[in-house]
Amino acid sequence: MAKRVVVDPVTRIEGHLRLEVTVDEKQNKVVDAISSATMWRGIEVILKNRDPRDAWAFAQRICGVCTTIHALASVRAVEDALDIQIPKNSNYIRNIMLATLYVHDHLVHFYHLHALDWVSPVEALKADPVKTAELQKAVIQKYGKIVELAKDYTGLKAYARKFPKATPAYFKAVQDKIKQIVESGQLGIFAPADWWGHPDYKKLPPEVHLMAIAHYLEMLDTQRELVIPHVVFGGKNPHPHYLVGGMNCSISMDDGNAPVNAARLGLVQTAVEIALDAINYFYILDLLAIADIYLNKYNWFYGGGLAKERVLGFGDFPDEPYKDFSKTGDYWNKILYHSNGVVHNFKEGWQKAKYEEFNKDSLEHVAEYVQHSFYHYTVGDNKPLHPWEGQTIPAPEDVPPTPWKFLDPNHKYSYSKTPVYKGLTHEVGPLARYIVTYVGVKQGHIKPTWVDEMVVKQIDMVSEMLGIPAEKWMLSTVGRTVARGLEAQLGANLNSYFLKKLYDNIKSGDTQVANNTKFDPSTWGPGKKRGVGMTEAPRGALSHWVVINGITIENYQAIVPTTWNVAPRIKNEYGEQRAAYEAAMLDTEVKVVKEPLEILRTIHSFDPCLACATHIYNSDGEEVTSFNVNSACAV
Amino acid sequence: MGKTYWEAFKEAGISRREFLKFATYITGLMGLAPSMVPKVVEALETKERIPVIWLHGLECTGCTESFIRSNAPYASDLLLNVITLEYDETLPAAAGILYEENGKMVRSGLVGHLDKVVEEYKGKYILVYEGGVPLGNDGRYCIVAGRPYKEDVIELAKHAAVLMSVGTCASWGGIQAARPNPTHSVPVSDLVNKPLIKVPGCPPIPEVITGTILHLALFGMPPLDDQGRPKQFFGNRIHDTCYRRPFFNAGQFVEKPDDDAAKKGWCLYKIGCRGPTTYASCGNLRWFGGISYPIQSGAPCIGCADKNFWDKGPFFQREKGIVLPNVEVDADKVGVAAAAVTAGALAVHAIAAGIRHAGEKDDEH
Repeated sequence: MAKRVVVDPVTRIEGHLRLEVTVDEKQNKVVDAISSATMWRGIEVILKNRDPRDAWAFAQRICGVCTTIHALASVRAVEDALDIQIPKNSNYIRNIMLATLYVHDHLVHFYHLHALDWVSPVEALKADPVKTAELQKAVIQKYGKIVELAKDYTGLKAYARKFPKATPAYFKAVQDKIKQIVESGQLGIFAPADWWGHPDYKKLPPEVHLMAIAHYLEMLDTQRELVIPHVVFGGKNPHPHYLVGGMNCSISMDDGNAPVNAARLGLVQTAVEIALDAINYFYILDLLAIADIYLNKYNWFYGGGLAKERVLGFGDFPDEPYKDFSKTGDYWNKILYHSNGVVHNFKEGWQKAKYEEFNKDSLEHVAEYVQHSFYHYTVGDNKPLHPWEGQTIPAPEDVPPTPWKFLDPNHKYSYSKTPVYKGLTHEVGPLARYIVTYVGVKQGHIKPTWVDEMVVKQIDMVSEMLGIPAEKWMLSTVGRTVARGLEAQLGANLNSYFLKKLYDNIKSGDTQVANNTKFDPSTWGPGKKRGVGMTEAPRGALSHWVVINGITIENYQAIVPTTWNVAPRIKNEYGEQRAAYEAAMLDTEVKVVKEPLEILRTIHSFDPCLACATHIYNSDGEEVTSFNVNSACAV
Repeated sequence: MGKTYWEAFKEAGISRREFLKFATYITGLMGLAPSMVPKVVEALETKERIPVIWLHGLECTGCTESFIRSNAPYASDLLLNVITLEYDETLPAAAGILYEENGKMVRSGLVGHLDKVVEEYKGKYILVYEGGVPLGNDGRYCIVAGRPYKEDVIELAKHAAVLMSVGTCASWGGIQAARPNPTHSVPVSDLVNKPLIKVPGCPPIPEVITGTILHLALFGMPPLDDQGRPKQFFGNRIHDTCYRRPFFNAGQFVEKPDDDAAKKGWCLYKIGCRGPTTYASCGNLRWFGGISYPIQSGAPCIGCADKNFWDKGPFFQREKGIVLPNVEVDADKVGVAAAAVTAGALAVHAIAAGIRHAGEKDDEH
């Protein structure tokens, strides 16, 4: 007899989200899934009628975990609308801040938001510290080859500042600490004790648990050091300051009071070096050890979902300043990371996948639906709207009365809209970017930069280490998590690369960080100006769309990565479609209905930007609406 | 249950010497005189660890992120030795589990644990709020565990020892409460009838959050100002402790981002800096152990710890009514800056304080 179970709230994410899953208990199979964002703040509405130069500050508060990214998208959108090209130094600095975000956000996600789906402090108590030290050495030995891809472009890094402590004494001390916590009965963040009963926690040997928990604690302290570039260039973290036209952090080698001088750059240099170590000697190695066991020993290939069908990226890291996005599309001529594209059907391998570039001409094909969202459109809820014409009109009467038991997927059921590209939902995120770049290079559509080449090398190296073809390991919950780790390694290299460029440019005599010729709104001229700012956020493709009328914002729409992934289902001329969360949940087994660890693991692999709630119930007595994820692909 | 800090430290293998070092360090962190060290040591030896329940409403989780950036003490020390974070939605392993039995939803997993913690520590836990509380649409702009967030805000306050709002959203309403406040969001203090410590900031400085929690754990309520903010962290305007203050006094101002004055690190007041009206520790504590704060990185302060700061923009527009100085330089050198001076020769400090008070009256809700 099956049971109905709700998981609410799912923790270790940002914000509030609800998931409901229908499980066929006999087969441990998910037969229906609902993903619902349960919070709305109205930031798009609040941004109207404000000074476009302030928009970054408002937009940045969309998320304090991936802080910086919405500020970046916002200044890019306003600069696109106002035809402002930023100076070289600010381009490099913004790229360092973005790469820093990749490094920090991905690492915190793996250790502090995702690790406890794989490892348990209770299992770690069973480990032998001597064997754990041996395991640590073996892991460095076995996967260490990938560390060779790390590169210090500045050439200043003398030696590894952070390196795993492969000694029994270290692991014994960590184990003693865990033991003390567990025995005290005050488990704090590890409570309640019975949480750790799921059979999947037995998959990994106790020594892997102890190693990962030790690194969980170590990285909890290290993570703060990684974001120091944000503090130097933006004054604080979370929520560093940005500027339309460049950056605020003026450079002067003559002034001790200058925001950026040699001493201040030294702080950035050290943080960039620590990031290289933390990612390469901890994150990637732990990640590959866990992935190897799950894939090769347990054949745990669940959770691929929509990524198997289609993924989307916008591309990022302009090597040099670009003119704009929406007029000449020069942005896409300058980027180093060519994840700008759509890939269909990667599940059959890169040879058979269908690649399409994303560029200026693609902008018109982005739209959002509100069919199942708690919003209305004045043109009717069945029509999609392009974000420049986008509307955010809440529909409070459609939010079911509380307390909620189960949501009805036949009605509106989420505060998230449903974004589409060419009428179709797409998965976005590090996995999507890796698929687009990989297929683009392999099929010869992209003239690869060092970034693209590194992506391909990483994927091929991991495929070889695991002994599994790329399309098989990548298109899974594990693959999504591995892609994020590989991208963190890429981010650490990008950090160092752009820091070197910044040094070189300052050395050449250029200290400009802001183009302030249009700082005064009276220089903007009358009439309407539209702009878009795109970026690759840690969680995926992000776009901000602004319409400026005179000197104030007339309309502002943000299509955030989690919106692409968490969106409710839609039905249009291409059929019934689901977004990535629902599709991935349908592609995941659930062994113990009351302990849906696998669902948490799969949803966490997206690094959700919401707090969430998972409802699990069986089909007993419930009408199950059957959607075919693949049906929408025949375009 | 309920070990003292010293007991917990001992068990963790921390020496008496290290323990005393820690006590000295946090004494300084909390803005207390060195003569208070013995009192801190005594408190650490005798006070039990206090459970913390941390709720999340309409927020961006930036305050939690700031909390884990603390280096004095480290986040790991805080979470494992100083507090017991019994409920939170960002770090805990467990998720909330509910299932239906006899037509009723049973609370299990993390939410079941929450119920037990509230029962077990009745009257003893610190309740931390992060995020604003929407009242619009019966609170259904923020639904957690199937019910409006506002219900938890009120219910859990009843048995808390101390309430604390972390960040500008929980303290003042925050970004969602900015015009036109489409969700009708309010600060926590509008809904609870208990003393509430307000720690505003978007987000607050990491050590301001942890310092306030430490003070609570060791000494009980910290001294608060008339708005409920800990005096030790919100007693000064950023302007009072700003390293660029001498340039303000000398009439040396940045006129545009990245001009020559910006490179020299002159005062940002004329491009909108809210330092003169914002009470916070950015000037003295700074961020990340003293590395920087927005002004040091060349960005005009936007006043993120200030009530309703979101509606006091445009941020690059100079705040009106603050008298520009004319005290340390002669008229020639003040140049453009002096030309902008419109009011009389009253003391800058007094005027600024007066304006601030006037503004607060307007902002009361």
